[in-house]
Amino acid sequence: MKLNRRVFVGTGMAAASTLSAPMVHAASHGKPKVVVVGGGAGGATAARYIAKDSAGEIDVTLIEPTRTYYTCFFSNLYIGGFRDLNSIAHSYGKLASEYGINVVHDWATGVDRDAKTVSLAGGGSVPYDRLILSPGIDFVEGSVPGWDLSAQNAMPHAYKAGSQTELLKAQIMAMPEGGTYVMVAPPNPYRCPPGPYERISMVAHVLKETNPTAKIIIADPKEKFSKQALFEEGWQKHYTGMVERIGPDFGGGNVTVDPAAMTVNIDGEVVKADVVNVIPAQKAGLICDAAGLTEGNWAPVDGHSMVSRLDENIHILGDATNQGDMPKSGYSANSQAKVAAMAVRGALTGSRVFLAKFSNTCWSLIATDDGVKVGAAYEPNDEKIASVSSFVSQTGEDAALRKATYEESIGWYEGITTDMFG
Amino acid sequence: MANTAGIFVSVLGGAALVLGAAYGWTARDYRSQELAALTDRLSQLESSNAALVDQIAQGAELKEKISELEASLATALEAVEAAKTAAAAPEPPVAAPEPDTIVADATGLEFGDPSRGEEVFAQCRSCHQIGQGATDRIGPHLNGIFGRRAGAHDGFRYSDDMAMMGSDGLTWELETLNAYLENPKALVSRTRMNFAGLKDPQDRSDILAYLRQFSASPQNIPEAAPTAQAREVELSPEVLAIVGDTDYGEYLASECKTCHQQDGSDQGIPSIIQWPTEDFVVAMHAYKRQIRPHPVMQMMASRLSDEEIAALAAYFAQLE
Ligand SMILES: Cc1cc2nc3c(=O)[nH]c(=O)nc-3n(C[C@H](O)[C@H](O)[C@H](O)COP(=O)(O)OP(=O)(O)OC[C@H]3O[C@@H](n4cnc5c(N)ncnc54)[C@H](O)[C@@H]3O)c2cc1C
Repeated sequence: MKLNRRVFVGTGMAAASTLSAPMVHAASHGKPKVVVVGGGAGGATAARYIAKDSAGEIDVTLIEPTRTYYTCFFSNLYIGGFRDLNSIAHSYGKLASEYGINVVHDWATGVDRDAKTVSLAGGGSVPYDRLILSPGIDFVEGSVPGWDLSAQNAMPHAYKAGSQTELLKAQIMAMPEGGTYVMVAPPNPYRCPPGPYERISMVAHVLKETNPTAKIIIADPKEKFSKQALFEEGWQKHYTGMVERIGPDFGGGNVTVDPAAMTVNIDGEVVKADVVNVIPAQKAGLICDAAGLTEGNWAPVDGHSMVSRLDENIHILGDATNQGDMPKSGYSANSQAKVAAMAVRGALTGSRVFLAKFSNTCWSLIATDDGVKVGAAYEPNDEKIASVSSFVSQTGEDAALRKATYEESIGWYEGITTDMFG
Repeated sequence: MANTAGIFVSVLGGAALVLGAAYGWTARDYRSQELAALTDRLSQLESSNAALVDQIAQGAELKEKISELEASLATALEAVEAAKTAAAAPEPPVAAPEPDTIVADATGLEFGDPSRGEEVFAQCRSCHQIGQGATDRIGPHLNGIFGRRAGAHDGFRYSDDMAMMGSDGLTWELETLNAYLENPKALVSRTRMNFAGLKDPQDRSDILAYLRQFSASPQNIPEAAPTAQAREVELSPEVLAIVGDTDYGEYLASECKTCHQQDGSDQGIPSIIQWPTEDFVVAMHAYKRQIRPHPVMQMMASRLSDEEIAALAAYFAQLE
């Protein structure tokens, strides 16, 4: 065991609440243990809420390999030149120092569900009473023939933020005059439904400023996409003639790439490109499969508590799950984390558990001060998490409303990152 | 298509001519030459025909557009005439007998008696001017208030909340003005308008009838959506008296914190901490009843029960 257990801050509060809360879980001696795998939108939020609200009654360990988490949300705005990379970087310092979470920078390599332990790449294992997995996504091998992870430096995905995002931006800035950027868009379901199209908007924005004769091509296997009317209206308005989307009826779903030659073959037609942004098909983060918690590509969960349908001691959050109607977004993962945190605390310490409610809003930036949004509220039933009401921005909205919508998204970013990392 | 076929045939014809020159003419050569010429002519006719059909179609479209334009011109002229008559009439336009569209709107709200409204308006005059030569004072002048975007009158400095409601889409119409007059804070939490509200519905409909005389011709005043219900702003004492469950409020509030910043910063999204409980409750109910604009807040509030709103208010009230 290379974990150094921290002495808990706020022991006074812990003592006080022990008096009032019956200890429900007695299987392990000492404090009940929660292990969270993945310190992203779902995992960081869940760890923080459990530590904060149990006030020392639960021992929380967060396993996350990277020391700096770059949010995918707003990474497109970095590409567009609206944010710098530092502004989307977050550390785990406060989760450790202010919330007493035991942050372990390592990979989880497997889960022994009988022994209830998580094994680590660095050796050793961590026991849990409840495990929370929020590992995000990995890519489906072979979904774009010619591309695999070894090609990600020639043809970046930038669909996990950080060095990939930086690389993609550098490639775009280095495009020759009048050069070509090709995006290979992913099939459903994938993380952040409007993400690829917000990215197109941001790429068009920088190219319009630095390289206005450049071309942008999207090869898309999907008939329709999120906020389509809004994006297409925006591209027409701000980036006239720059963006060409090849949908499935024109072979946009029949794509192979050659990273060495930097070519994309779209339904038999070979395009020589300067930047190729391949966003492959996606599946639950590998640890879910390793733990035997997936059916098909995703991990099925019960929306009442986000508990796995295959293991009652494991909750799964965010992009990795198959839960029903919620899109795979940071907002959704954060919303699901709070429901799971409440359920886990309820199970381990007997704290009150209320009916689950979820919500999501995804803002996208199309051009300077031109923001749009789509959102919905959700409630669980026995079958899935179901949408109960929704809204979306309208085409033709006035500039003041679009600007207010963009400003709102900045407020949201501050709100959600504080909610994740304290 | 017809064209390419034509070209193809004439190329064949040309080839036949060349061959004819080399080997001497045969009747078949002449016939194929003739055929080529005919096919050419046919394809020319076909394409000019197609052009004609196109032109006819365009003509029809234009005609349709013209008649549409004529119709809207007629409506506009009618409106101008009506406005003229209304202006000339000794009675204010509200009294004009077109009750369905003018006196009541689809929300069931009604315009009252403008001359009584003028009397009620006396209490507003210390801050608001209206009528010829009106200028902005402590409050903006109120000429042309109907149909105007909230917080959008040039040159007047509004509260941040009023400006935000404007960019969220709040427009001054019968229903929204009625709600604002009833309880300004239900619509705009930190409005500069320091006024408790007109609780008597008759006072409000009279004052609205008076105000409307100074707006564009009544026909141009947007009607509320026909399905809308008259929406009460004022909450019953029972609803206001609900004591919220702070534990439940804390759970519900976790949803608010995804966007509203916990340190009270109001960058892009307003702060919701340290809000007087009653203001919080009326604001949430106004979203729930969709009197306040903003799709996210309407959605969030629409699924909160009276108890849940009280729980949230109780939780936020005990935050320091
Ligand atoms: C370009 C782009 C734009 C986006 N924009 C938005 C937006 O505007 N709004 C929005 O709401 N969402 C947006 N998203 C989506 C959002 O980023 C994801 O939905 C969200 O991050 C999902 O949270 P998660 O917890 O499931 O996974 P992640 O946030 O990806 O976190 C997973 C974490 O788990 C760690 N991990 C994985 N495997 C292991 C393991 N075996 N052991 C230990 N740790 C592991 C990873 O290192 C990672 O830190 C966007 C995404 C992209 C790509």
